[in-house]
Amino acid sequence: MGEGRKKVEIAEEIVRAIEEHLAELSADSVEEYVEAVLRERLLTEGFLSAYSPEEEKEVEQRLRDLGYLD
Amino acid sequence: MKRMAVIGLDCADPDLIEEFLPDLPALGELIRSGTFSRLRSVDPPITVPAWMCMMTGKDPGELGVYGFRNRMDHSYEGLGVASSARFSAPAVWDVLGRRGLRSILLGIPGTYPPKPVRGLLVSGPLTPSTDADYTYPASLKGKIARWVGDYMPDVRDFRTEDKAWLIKQVHSMTERRFALARKLVSQGTWDFFAMVEMGPDRIHHGLWAHHDPAHPKHDPQSPFRDALREYYRLLDEKLAELLSDLPGGTQVLVVSDHGAQRMEGGIGINEWLIEQGYLALKEYPKKPTRMGELIRRNLVDWSRTVAWGEGGYYGRVFLNVQGREPQGIVPPERYEEVRAELAEHLAAIPDEAGRPIGTRVFRPEELYRKVQGIPPDLIVYFGDLRWRSIGTVGWGRIHFHENDIGPDDANHAPHGIFIAYPRLDKRKERSILEVKDLVLSVMGDE
Repeated sequence: MGEGRKKVEIAEEIVRAIEEHLAELSADSVEEYVEAVLRERLLTEGFLSAYSPEEEKEVEQRLRDLGYLD
Repeated sequence: MKRMAVIGLDCADPDLIEEFLPDLPALGELIRSGTFSRLRSVDPPITVPAWMCMMTGKDPGELGVYGFRNRMDHSYEGLGVASSARFSAPAVWDVLGRRGLRSILLGIPGTYPPKPVRGLLVSGPLTPSTDADYTYPASLKGKIARWVGDYMPDVRDFRTEDKAWLIKQVHSMTERRFALARKLVSQGTWDFFAMVEMGPDRIHHGLWAHHDPAHPKHDPQSPFRDALREYYRLLDEKLAELLSDLPGGTQVLVVSDHGAQRMEGGIGINEWLIEQGYLALKEYPKKPTRMGELIRRNLVDWSRTVAWGEGGYYGRVFLNVQGREPQGIVPPERYEEVRAELAEHLAAIPDEAGRPIGTRVFRPEELYRKVQGIPPDLIVYFGDLRWRSIGTVGWGRIHFHENDIGPDDANHAPHGIFIAYPRLDKRKERSILEVKDLVLSVMGDE
């Protein structure tokens, strides 16, 4: 278990379904797929931010440099 | 079922392509044997939302995304960068994925953070850095580092007078993106490939004056007078290499989200609103200050403010409406009257010699099939996009002939390019909103 990661348990049938279809789901592992799906869901619901405050500041500065914002 | 590759060149301009065509053998061959049309962008013709409009078939109003940064709510400060989470309409690859078809997507603006797709995705220029998780699957990121080294989602430190450095950066970004594209198309089977190269846009903004004799800053002796032509040659060479890697029979589209034109100057939108009495400050800044900063520092007198603006390649004006904005003063029953008066006055702003500049002002509901999210109350094309909108305050003037943050030679034009090979039809013009359905129909509807 890497730094900044936590273990969760999910239904075995979901794990099996993902394992059986990893190639179609374009993921290398069950964890990779589950994390991507959950991240998308949380972003869409607004429960997770696309950017950290520092990243957003940096992206806005880049957009300003590029002339999109003024 | 036909395989398709959409090669997007941000800001590639139809007139420039025609001018450079003798130097572009690959594009020349596609055009001679295929279809070449002008592709009408959306309004505003800006990278975000234009590419996602192309890929979803929805206009900015339907998507609720009007630019790179949008109002998140009716507060004065609530602006947010348009991430992939803002694009909920299904993109062409979502539809194909439901049919069991595999897509490879590279650098498409509006795809950061990456969403899961049936295939591979490398997100677009709003990727904060390659330290971020910018691919789907996440493990693709490590492979990219091995394949092309330090991948460049976009050019950094763009606003520079060091044109030689800028040209080198843009060439390097393009070379790496096409190197990655070639790697990606060789990764197993795929049905749909789409990529967007940002280089044409960056080179136009940085060096248009060196190319265009009609540009106010043009110097015929400039050592960079052929920079645009040389960049298009590089693009053509990279395109030829990529085309040679595509499986035989692939339907190819080469498209852009908008074109380019010379920029003649800038209009200080908030300076003008102040001068005309529409915007009131508690204290006029001693040095040029961004509108967002004035709002954050509570320096706007909202009790006397009818409207404020945002700058960029086009202008956005927001009315301070009672019951809508926190300290709104425009009564809702007078909204249309005030908006009409403001639109008329904005359209009439002349240049500093009093000559008309041909500004166009739009109401969102005139432009879009549906208006979602929080649009600007007015969308302003100063000089029909030959003048940019300058939002900062503290200059003590309205007219500018240099960007307030450094050199920028070009603005956007409403027509991009559409090249199809093999030939599809011979229409002279089509809409960016037709591309998604065209892709689905060429690839074979369900």
